[in-house]
Amino acid sequence: MAGSIPASVTTDAITPAAAPVRDRRWEVLRRAVRARLAPFGAAVVMAAVLVALAAPVVAPYDPLKQDLAHALAAPSRGHLLGTDNVGRDVLSRVIWGTRISLVAGVVSVAIALLTGSLLGVVAGFCGGRVDGVVMRLMDAVLSFPPLVLALALGAVLGAGLTGVLIALGVVYTPTFARLMRGQVLTIKAREYVDAARALGAPGWRVAWHHVLPNATAPIVVQASLSVAFAILAEASLSFLGLGIQPPAASWGSMINAGRGYLQSAPWIVFGPGVALFVTVVGLNFVGDAIRDALDPRLRG
Amino acid sequence: MARLILHRLGAVIPVLLLVTVGVFTLLHLTPGDPIDAMMAESVDATVKETLRRDLGLDQPIGVQYARWMGRLLRGDLGRSIRNGEPVLENVGRRIRPSLQLAAFAMAISLLVAFPVGIVAAVRRNTSADRVATTFALFGICMPNFLLALLLIFVFGVTLRWLPISGYTDPLEEPLLGLRSLALPAITLGLALAAVITRTLRSSLLEALAEDYVRTARAKGLSEWMVIRAHVLKNALIPVVTVMGLQLGTLIGGAVITEYVFALPGVGRLVVDAVFARDYPTVQGVVLLIAIGFIVSNLMVDLLYGWIDPRIRHH
Repeated sequence: MAGSIPASVTTDAITPAAAPVRDRRWEVLRRAVRARLAPFGAAVVMAAVLVALAAPVVAPYDPLKQDLAHALAAPSRGHLLGTDNVGRDVLSRVIWGTRISLVAGVVSVAIALLTGSLLGVVAGFCGGRVDGVVMRLMDAVLSFPPLVLALALGAVLGAGLTGVLIALGVVYTPTFARLMRGQVLTIKAREYVDAARALGAPGWRVAWHHVLPNATAPIVVQASLSVAFAILAEASLSFLGLGIQPPAASWGSMINAGRGYLQSAPWIVFGPGVALFVTVVGLNFVGDAIRDALDPRLRG
Repeated sequence: MARLILHRLGAVIPVLLLVTVGVFTLLHLTPGDPIDAMMAESVDATVKETLRRDLGLDQPIGVQYARWMGRLLRGDLGRSIRNGEPVLENVGRRIRPSLQLAAFAMAISLLVAFPVGIVAAVRRNTSADRVATTFALFGICMPNFLLALLLIFVFGVTLRWLPISGYTDPLEEPLLGLRSLALPAITLGLALAAVITRTLRSSLLEALAEDYVRTARAKGLSEWMVIRAHVLKNALIPVVTVMGLQLGTLIGGAVITEYVFALPGVGRLVVDAVFARDYPTVQGVVLLIAIGFIVSNLMVDLLYGWIDPRIRHH
């Protein structure tokens, strides 16, 4: 009987890595922190998260408040990053833009991770026709250049945060599906999975208790690296005018709005530009550190 | 090699079919009536009905797909709802700047990536290596549009060395043409160079640690000969893989670069069509880009077989 097999017994007794999970997690964390550039990356990411959460408190001005008397003002004590063409404080808009960028990056990757992992598990576990159909679908999605697909989906779903999240979620889904399917196929052939099956565990229990926990490492690595690229993609869509719509503060749309004033007020472009670049660099360092800690073989 | 080509072609056909389904479905993903999305509310109802009939949207969805595919197989990608011009003709007119930009950018990326990657690997853990890896990180994390604006600011606005927008065909006016494409190609090429540098460095390091390299050195070959004759070819497979994977990024980057530098290419056509809600043009161009992407990936696959004979025989 399937239900009669306590998960803890099968997991503890049969999983090859019998070391307590908590110890392994500490080891991974220790290795991640030891990575050379990880502390800088972690500091940047933590700062970005704090700024995003505390945006209403730390932003010196209302990001939408126009002050035409001070339009295109250069950086000064009153406006540390200057003002834009309608007198809005660039620093306040950069701070509020952090929130949108992080939400777009994390939520779109979460959508892709959940959908892709589910499809990957189904394809890898069922095999045969189901596997064929799911993977050909994923191949078809991968046949579109990512930004072009996001652009086309953004066009039909309409501009705005929801459209961006769905579009980027779809774009990144095949990566997670392929990765998860590969993991499932490898793990499915392990002896502890055979043992769990021999003990009578049903397919879903084997997948949930034995395959998934052992397949997460590369997925976590991919997710951590994907967030940076999702933030870049959101900024690109907003730059093209298909993402977050003005007057809402988004780094991409701020840069697009400022490019007409590159000669007279370059700070409109470079304020959000530096924020975007530093955040992506920080996320890349953190992603690299997580990758090195979880799977040193993947190191480039 | 013929077997490899046939095998890869066989794998591509179902994917191509699914791509056509995906592109066809795009129009139907529009929330509400696609005709309302394409035309302003004030447009006369009869005009809307005519467009609905022209696009075949009054038919059942299966019939719509069959007719659309039939037209597609005859080379008819539809007509723009803005000016009635056939999509294929429009793309034909705009493909040249896009291809020139891609070729120029690819040349820049290879010219930068190979020397930088080789120096970084051969002089591992020196300051030259650190400069190279920092350059690679910079290129990977820098969004295209920001790099484009930075280049415009420095070379266009401040130094006034290069034009910041517009296009001259290099085949008609070579010098002016190259000048008009210089900044867009550097924008696109540097991002690609960064990825290639990173991959080349790590694959060279891996190849340099192989036994056959020690043997080659023991034979008394110079370091340059060892790299050229033994290491480089063995390190090329991951580089070709990455170049294949980066084709998508290159196309996406071209869309943004053409938009920033006002180049009249296919990327600019997509963005303009998206803004005008000209869905037949969006569908046609996206389909063509996807087919181009699939064919390029197929060529990269076949290139593996040429570089590494072991792949041919598997």
